[in-house]
Amino acid sequence: MGASSPLPRPPRRPRRPRRPRLRGAAIALALACAVLGCTPTRARTTTPRTPEATATPREPAATAPTTIIERTWMLRGAKVMTATGIVYDAADVLVRGDRIVAVGPGLDVPAGTDVIDARGRTITPGIIDTHSHLGVYAAPSFAAHSDGNEMVTPVTPQVRAEDAYWPQDPQIDRARAGGVTTMQILPGSGNLIGGRSVTVKTYPGARGIDEARMADAPAGLKMACGENPKRYYADKGGPATRMGNVAGYRTAFLKAREYQLSWDRYREKLAAHRARAEQPPPRSSGDAAKQPPDAAGEPKDPPDPPARDLGLETLAGVLRGEILVHNHCYRADEMLGMLALAREFGFTIRSFHHAVEAYKIAPELAAAGTAASVWADWWGFKAEAFDGIRENAAMIAAAGARAIIHSDSGVGMQHLNQEASKALWAGRRAGLDIADDEALRWITANPAWALGIDAKVGTLAKDKQADLVVWDGDPFSVYTKAVQVYIEGELVFDREHPLPGGGTDFELGYEATDEVRGGGR
Amino acid sequence: MSRARSRTTMMILGALAVWLGTAAAIAAPPASAPRGSTAAVRPATAPRPATAPRPATAPTSVRRSDRLPFDRDGAPVWLTGAELRSDGRRTADAVIELRGTRIATVGGPELRAKIPAGARTIDLTGKIVTPGIVAVDTGIGLVEIDAEGSTRDDAPSVPDPVRAAFDASSAIHDDSALLDVNAIEGITSAAVTPQGGLVSGQVAWIDLVGAPSLVSRPQVAMRAHLGQSVAGSRAAALLELRELFDDVAFHRRNKGAYDRNQSRHLSAHRLDLEALVPVIDGRMPLVLSADGVADLRAAIALAKTGLRVVVIGGAQAWRLADELAAAKITVFVQPSNNLPGGLDDLGARIDNAAKLATAGVEVGLAVLGDAHNARNVTQEAGLAVSYGLDPDRALAAITSVPARAYGMDAHYGKVAPGQVANLVVWGGDPFELSQRPEQVWIRGNAIAMRSRQSALRDRYLPRVRR
Repeated sequence: MGASSPLPRPPRRPRRPRRPRLRGAAIALALACAVLGCTPTRARTTTPRTPEATATPREPAATAPTTIIERTWMLRGAKVMTATGIVYDAADVLVRGDRIVAVGPGLDVPAGTDVIDARGRTITPGIIDTHSHLGVYAAPSFAAHSDGNEMVTPVTPQVRAEDAYWPQDPQIDRARAGGVTTMQILPGSGNLIGGRSVTVKTYPGARGIDEARMADAPAGLKMACGENPKRYYADKGGPATRMGNVAGYRTAFLKAREYQLSWDRYREKLAAHRARAEQPPPRSSGDAAKQPPDAAGEPKDPPDPPARDLGLETLAGVLRGEILVHNHCYRADEMLGMLALAREFGFTIRSFHHAVEAYKIAPELAAAGTAASVWADWWGFKAEAFDGIRENAAMIAAAGARAIIHSDSGVGMQHLNQEASKALWAGRRAGLDIADDEALRWITANPAWALGIDAKVGTLAKDKQADLVVWDGDPFSVYTKAVQVYIEGELVFDREHPLPGGGTDFELGYEATDEVRGGGR
Repeated sequence: MSRARSRTTMMILGALAVWLGTAAAIAAPPASAPRGSTAAVRPATAPRPATAPRPATAPTSVRRSDRLPFDRDGAPVWLTGAELRSDGRRTADAVIELRGTRIATVGGPELRAKIPAGARTIDLTGKIVTPGIVAVDTGIGLVEIDAEGSTRDDAPSVPDPVRAAFDASSAIHDDSALLDVNAIEGITSAAVTPQGGLVSGQVAWIDLVGAPSLVSRPQVAMRAHLGQSVAGSRAAALLELRELFDDVAFHRRNKGAYDRNQSRHLSAHRLDLEALVPVIDGRMPLVLSADGVADLRAAIALAKTGLRVVVIGGAQAWRLADELAAAKITVFVQPSNNLPGGLDDLGARIDNAAKLATAGVEVGLAVLGDAHNARNVTQEAGLAVSYGLDPDRALAAITSVPARAYGMDAHYGKVAPGQVANLVVWGGDPFELSQRPEQVWIRGNAIAMRSRQSALRDRYLPRVRR
């Protein structure tokens, strides 16, 4: 089957119970089987649907009992770009359930495997975007949809993007059609400390954050340098300068350290109290009813815990290394300053975002182990973006640091492969030797690392989640499109046989969107 | 309006008479411009009449009447062997003769015999040559840093909704960093456009590199905005536009009364009204932003009154493709803009350009609202092709279509005899992401392929080499 023929699809695996089942899934399965002549697959496990899922009012059909089947299927004969350093001109990807079982040329086909001829296609890992505001700055850009910046005070670590994420944002459909399977949803950059991020998958049909969230992905903390906070707060009590910005971060982390200490002290006291409680009561020489204080003067009651503070809880999570810092920062001098500040407080910055001048400090980024999420070519819209160059990502990579191409845009997000391509070719023209696989890592493996999910996604390798994009050509060509997108082994986008029931609630019922629902355009 | 048009015939002839006169006259704004604004905001960058360059002999292919302020003759340069893509055609092993600032001769390999012995020739075998790319509706030359008001001259926040006399050519910054950054990626000319309000002002046609001035022709079009550009109301915007055009015609008929302070109240300043005369006469294109069907219908209605309407945006234009084609409205779209950012953009789609072209609409492509990356219009063209637009039409959509829409097609948009010698030499498919121009020619000169960005790159590159 050549590249021009429609790509058949594997039989659909029933969706995970925690997400609603799309209408027409059965039809899709029947269609695919008609194309493939597939044999019945084996049900490995049988689980009744949870009441929560069966109760969805949108899906009367889903009330029928169903089973979770771990299907085994294979995309065979495609060019496979693994983002592990290996590119196969022709190889197979074997998937069971939600995991990749094997990747390589001429794989054995286990009995009962549905095989899809993918010759002429190219398979990559699902694209991962470290910087998105989808769902918190949703389309249409109604005032009512402006949920990204809690700009009431410049330090708001207590807020969480997940509490505002609107899964009906039509931009999510478009991103998925562009091959994006995972994205970090960040608060905006109006605040010095903007709040917690959440990493989600671009599952269709999610109704709430728990149906979109990527399981076990660590939270991030959004911080912002430079112009945005000082511009917004200049006449609202500050910060009005970069001096004020840095004082703001430092003040916040000093408080967090104090908070941590107060809890450490509390835990020590509590431990001491418990230790005493386990000891036999001291022999009383006088009044047996009155227990004296111990040598340290501790009261007999357990110590009172300090008051919980949601924001400081988050910052303490950063200091403990559990929450990853994503720092909007353009200029080289400010990034170096933030690296120093992070060292001072004993945390690390996982990734600078936008990092327009990262190429000026690429060796320092490599030494610090901090990734740089950058655009391919945005520049000049602000003074701090004036020194942007097309070679930024390539120069970061050449210095041995982790380069990432991010979008910060519902448009750019649909073409991250193209953005990576522009950055790749700019580097090559500058004489830097960059392999295709390295540029692919800028939108897969490296963002996975930045988000702390690289053990699960970002490359095509055994036991990784089966997040795949099947392209109709070289993913670095302007003419190439994603033809199929899989998340955890499940087909979530199909350009050649649009999935029934696609599209967001918002776009339903408008004549203008009738033809474009489903994100295929 | 037709009566108004006939009454201005004499004015047009008068304007043409001046236009056709001398190079010195051409260097000044055309006579159809408001007289007051000519004196007040004469382009600082325009050559003084006395020092306007006068070539010893005009290029044979350029009529004296078509001369632009920078025109000069020069020794012939022959470009040979490339595949020429221009004006919907592809010519293998092309021969292109440049003379001075213009293209003199264009043909196939049969022309090789005409190359004089000893003439300067450049072998471009294996290369592709296209016309220079035109950035449409751009702030190149007006905007250095979007967020820094002190670096902006596109006047987006002037409170007055009507600034028709605002002349972009008077504010072009000849040393902007955006010029080289875009030029070395193939953008050779730009329709430089003021922004904001209901009527933003007059568009200047510039080349991105050149002396004595970048301005090739001032006042090539009028920029206006439909949508909610007045008092947050679509209806208010249309009402104000109608009143404005009515007052333009009224003022022209009653100039004497106005000067004697005996006129009724007019909705705009005298200079603004005068600047709009060529628009209501259908001589100057009226470039309108319009995305939703309601605004597109308004644009079509304006076109039916005889105005030369050009649409920018066109998110829902595919829904009115047949009507737009019938009204002969050129529509500039940005294919990647496929998000329902507002109700006017519901149904925005990446294959908009292809659908419009199929219906017979003249489609142009542009990067809208991002002068810094006007260069990415080749990627937009690639996307349009990827979603169904014919590749040659896509090339026309960034070269000859803009030239026609802004009335500059006698000089720009094609590689053809008599055209300004703006062309781009590519090593491969111009729309492909791997490709950047190998050489750009502007006004007959091979430009230095350097920019502020390449200088930054070269300063820091040695630090990152492993």
